[in-house]
Parts: sequence; C-alpha cells; structure tokens
Amino acid sequence: MQISEMIASSIRMCLPVLLAALGATYSEKSGVVNIGLEGMMITGAFWGATCAYYAGPYLGLLGAILAGMLLATVHAVTSVTFKVNQIVSGVALNTLAYGAARFAATTIFKMATTTPGVPRLPTVDIPILSLVGWLEPIVKTLSPVIILAFLLVPATKFVLERTVFGLRLRAAGENPLAADTVGVNISAMRYAGVIISGGFAGLAGGYLAVEHTGMYVEGMTQGAGFIGLAAMIFGNWQPVGAMLASLLFGLSEGVALNVESEIVPYQFIKMIPYVLTIAVLASAIRRATPPAASGVPYERGGE
Amino acid sequence: MRHHRTLRLLALATPLIAVLFAGLIGSVVIAIAGKNPLAVYKTMVSFSLGRFDSIALILFRSTPLLISAVAVSIGFRANLFNIGVEGQYFLGSFFAAWVGFSLRGLPAIVHLPLAIAAAMLGGMVWALVPALLRVRRGVHEVITTIMMNSVAFSMVHWLIYVFLDVQQTTVPGMGSPRMRTPMLLETVRMPTLHSLLNPLLSPLGLEIPRHVYLNYFFPVAIALAFAVNYLIRRTPLGLEVRAVGHNPEAAETQGIDPNSVRLKAFMLSAAVAGLAGLSDLLSYYGYLDIDFPKGYGFTGIAVALLGKNSPAGMILSAFLMSFLRRGAEGAQVLEGIPMDTAVILEGVMILAIVVASSVFGRYALAWQKKEARAHADQ
Repeated sequence: MQISEMIASSIRMCLPVLLAALGATYSEKSGVVNIGLEGMMITGAFWGATCAYYAGPYLGLLGAILAGMLLATVHAVTSVTFKVNQIVSGVALNTLAYGAARFAATTIFKMATTTPGVPRLPTVDIPILSLVGWLEPIVKTLSPVIILAFLLVPATKFVLERTVFGLRLRAAGENPLAADTVGVNISAMRYAGVIISGGFAGLAGGYLAVEHTGMYVEGMTQGAGFIGLAAMIFGNWQPVGAMLASLLFGLSEGVALNVESEIVPYQFIKMIPYVLTIAVLASAIRRATPPAASGVPYERGGE
Repeated sequence: MRHHRTLRLLALATPLIAVLFAGLIGSVVIAIAGKNPLAVYKTMVSFSLGRFDSIALILFRSTPLLISAVAVSIGFRANLFNIGVEGQYFLGSFFAAWVGFSLRGLPAIVHLPLAIAAAMLGGMVWALVPALLRVRRGVHEVITTIMMNSVAFSMVHWLIYVFLDVQQTTVPGMGSPRMRTPMLLETVRMPTLHSLLNPLLSPLGLEIPRHVYLNYFFPVAIALAFAVNYLIRRTPLGLEVRAVGHNPEAAETQGIDPNSVRLKAFMLSAAVAGLAGLSDLLSYYGYLDIDFPKGYGFTGIAVALLGKNSPAGMILSAFLMSFLRRGAEGAQVLEGIPMDTAVILEGVMILAIVVASSVFGRYALAWQKKEARAHADQ
C-alpha cells in the first residue's frame, strides 16, 4: 500500500471527526458543552440518506444539516433556556436520536437498521495538484464534502476571531456577565453556537451516509461525535488544532485498516480510536485552556 | 408550614409531569406513524399488565435496570457522571462467567458469592482508568467512560473468543459458529424465586411460569437500593460523598480530600455496576455470548434521574421502564408500532424530568427568598 493512498484513506476517515470537532468549537466557545453531537450525527446520517433517497444527494446533505440543527435546538432549549445539566441533556438526546432513527427507519423503509442505497454527489478533482503523479489518490475523485470540510477550518477560524459575531460568541462563553453588561444577548449567542454545532454534526452524519457509505447503517457513526469532542479538546478549542487532532484520528484508523490482522486480533484494532481518545484526553488536559464559562449556565443576577 | 407541604408535593409531582409529557410526545410520534395513540397505549397497558406472566417478566427485567440505576446514582451523589456502567457490567459479567466456568468442585455457597465478588471486581477494574484520570489529571469522566464502553464490547468479544468452548462452537444441524463461553457450572447459578413464591401465589390462582427467570437478584437489587441510600445518608463516608458532590471547595476546607472521596465513590459505583448483568447471566443464560444484553447502563441513567436517586423512586422508575419496553413489544406485535417507541419515550422522559426539576427548583428558590424577605420585614 502506498503512503499517498494511506493518507487519502485517513482523510476520508477523519472527516466525521473533523466536522464534529469544528462544530463542538462553536458550541463550547459560546459556553455550552454538547455531548449530544453523536446523536446529532446519527440523526444527520439517517435523514441525509432518507432525503438523498427521495430527492438526490444535494437535498440529502441539506436534510442532514437541518436534522442536526433541529436536534441541536432541543439541546439549546433545555441547556440555555431551562439551564439543565448540559451533559444529562446531551446524553438524553443521544438516546432519543438512536431510538428515533430506528423508529423512522422501521416506519419509512420497514427495516430497523438500514436505508436502501442512495446516490452520491459527483466527485471532483483538485486542478493542478492532480497533475502531480503521487498525489493522485489524495486529490482525485474526491467527495466535495471533503473539500468543504477543510475549507470550513479557516472559515471557522475567521468567523471566531475576526467577526463581530465570533467576538460575541466567545464573550458569551468566556465572561457572560461582562458580555451581558455591554449588551450582548447571551442566550442568542449560545443558541447560535449550539445550533451551528448541530449543523456540523448533521453534515458529518450526512457525509458518512451519503458520501462515504452510500446508505445509512445503524451504528455507522461509531462514536465519532464523542471522538470529535476529544479532538476539539486536544486541539485546545482552536479550529486548526481540532483539524490536526482529527487527522491524527483519521491516520490511526487508516493505519489500523492496513495492519495485518493475522498478528493482532481485529477486536484490538477496533479499539484503537477509543484508546487513542483516552490517551489524547489524558495528555491534553494539562495545557488545556477551555472557555472559562463553558458548561456553566448563565444566570442573570444569579448567585 | 402549609407551604412547605405544597413544595414537597410539587417536588414529588415533577417525575409525574415528566412521564405525562413523554406520553404526549409519544402520542405525536405514534400519530405520525399513522396509528391512534390512545389505542396503542391501551394495548401497551393490557399487554403488559393484563397477564401475570407479563408482570413477572417486568419484575425480572427491572432487576438489571435497578442495579444499574443504583450504580449511576452513587456517582450522581458525588457529582460524578458514570456513563461507563455499560462497559463495567460487561466486564463484570465476563469476570463472573470466568469464575463460573473455570473453578470446579466448589460448593454453591462459596462459588456463587465468589462469582458475585468477581463481577464487582470486573466493574472496578474497568472504571479504574477513567477514575484515576479524573482524580489525578482532572480529565472529565464523561468521554473517557463512553470510550471505555466501546473498548469493553471489543474486549469481551475477544475474551469470549479466547475462551471459546470448542465443543460448542458449531450448532448441530447448523453450519454457523456459536460465539459463547463454556456453560457455567450449576454451583454458580442463581436460583429463581419460583419455589419460594409459587406456593404463596397459588391460593390466588397465580403462578410465575417457568419461562420467566425471576430470581433472587430481584430482592437483592431492592435491598441494594436501600443499603446504598443508607450508606450515603447515614455513614461518615456518605456524608463526605454528599459534601464533595454538593460543594467540593467547602468540603476541602472541612478537611475532606475531594479526590480521594471521588475515587471511592467512583469505585463503589463501578462495583455495583459490575452486578448489573448477573441476573441475566447467572439465572437466565448460563453462558456469556456476543449477543449478551446491551443498554442497561444507559437506561440506568434514565432510571436514576427519574427516580431522583431515591431508592423508592428508582424502584418505581425501573418498573416503569421495563413496563414501557414490554408494552412497546406488545404494540409492535399487535399494532405495528416499532418497539423503539420505548427508547424515544426514555429520551424524552430524561429531558422532561431535568427540565421540570430545574423549573421547580427555580420556583422553590424564588418562593423561599420571598418567605425569608417577608420574615425579615416582620
């Protein structure tokens, strides 16, 4: 197996983690922990495949994003408006998403765990770079979502650091009391952060179902939502850091796929991303600088 | 004083509000699927409560849920979120199975307690990494325990493969291999409650049928719920756990080391979690295979939240959850409604109970402030 092919497969593998990590950055920067990303990804995968089945891949991906945002809105209502424990709310949403996907799959397709095959987007080649021979597997016949996801990295950095919206979003997560005093609507910022993160997670699910697999299969997210959260933490709440961490996860899976299964039992190969997540969290936390008010509900005039 | 009673009644009503709200959302879901919600609910009730064997089955199925909820509730009291019960009971079940099929020649009075202790050890072993990462390095336990769950499934599959009973790997007449451990010895099997309860039930014309494996883990689980509650409310360790859970900084000024208490609470939670699979393993299956029931850990979170960590509350919530599952099975067979309705209801119920508790807490606080102010003005 060529190195470039391995890189290409790593990039394909890392994409759900990358999108979840970018989404998590918006949510965390606004001050809300979103452990429900996994459920939003499941929802995005199912509705992405379903919409693609009936209306083609473009509307499929759009449906995935909207479905993720819809579920995220529930998280925003419970954790911003009602100020409940954000982790409990996220865990409940994951349960809800799992049950809802099975319910909907049974109702629509008479199968609990899969949808029929769906059409993909036409693939693209990156011009100029595809003329370089050894880069070919990396830059040719790409899913457009891959290009979009990597463009979203600098875009996220720009939005968070250079726009008024990004400044206000970060203020809501860093020092909500001060931000509130100067007239920033904390609830609106946190709703925005959570709903954007749901859109990213939905797109990640849509990519998995429509672009990567060509159908929805139960369990296809394989914890990528949780791993995305870990990648975001490892990347120190920064989009570029999140991208590098996600690539690390993609690479580990790319390597794992090519390990001789004669030597290592496949059950251990399946564990690699999860063990890596734990290791990454253990090593990241010392230098971590999370938003100061992340996970803390904001109470105007609170005690 | 009268107002205090009103407040307490309202606090008790919050789980009911949550259940009713979930029922409402469930109705919408059922209506979307094109069925009449009232008819479906009626089927669910008559299917699960109309026959005695069904009631016995609900009690059997509530056993692991209650044990899991007790484990989760220990974490909650210390402000820890043990989402790893799922993996912990998988490892606990494997440890117990290992003791159950490998140690020979022991009398049941030694063998069975040994298997139970092994299960608790297995749960603790599996919680060790997240617990140590939490207390030593401050890594929040939520993601690490979720990851440990995923690792646990693969690990147990591999362990089953290692200990695969060669003679049993192929089913006679079928080509497919059967992935399971050797059968556990009789000395490690938990007896059912039939011989105890059926003589008492027969005058009423009732009988626990043989195909329902309601066993001694059911009273054990109930006793466990009360014992843990006693431990938390009435012992020095429990006081420390509650102090750390409520306000770690304040606890520290009292000379309590929060991290040492967290570690103890985490290990206790995991030891209880290790037991959650035993009712199925030691009474029903008698072997561990790759299709061993999953999900008790997650449903346990719902049960603990809905029961507000209290023993009576968790017992009732565990009944409610297994009633819903059973009823949903009936609705699937008789009404063509996917049984995953029960999972949706579970998720909605968690959201509704935390929202209702939050709204109620706010109301109670505002009300107490008003009281205090009125008092001060006098």
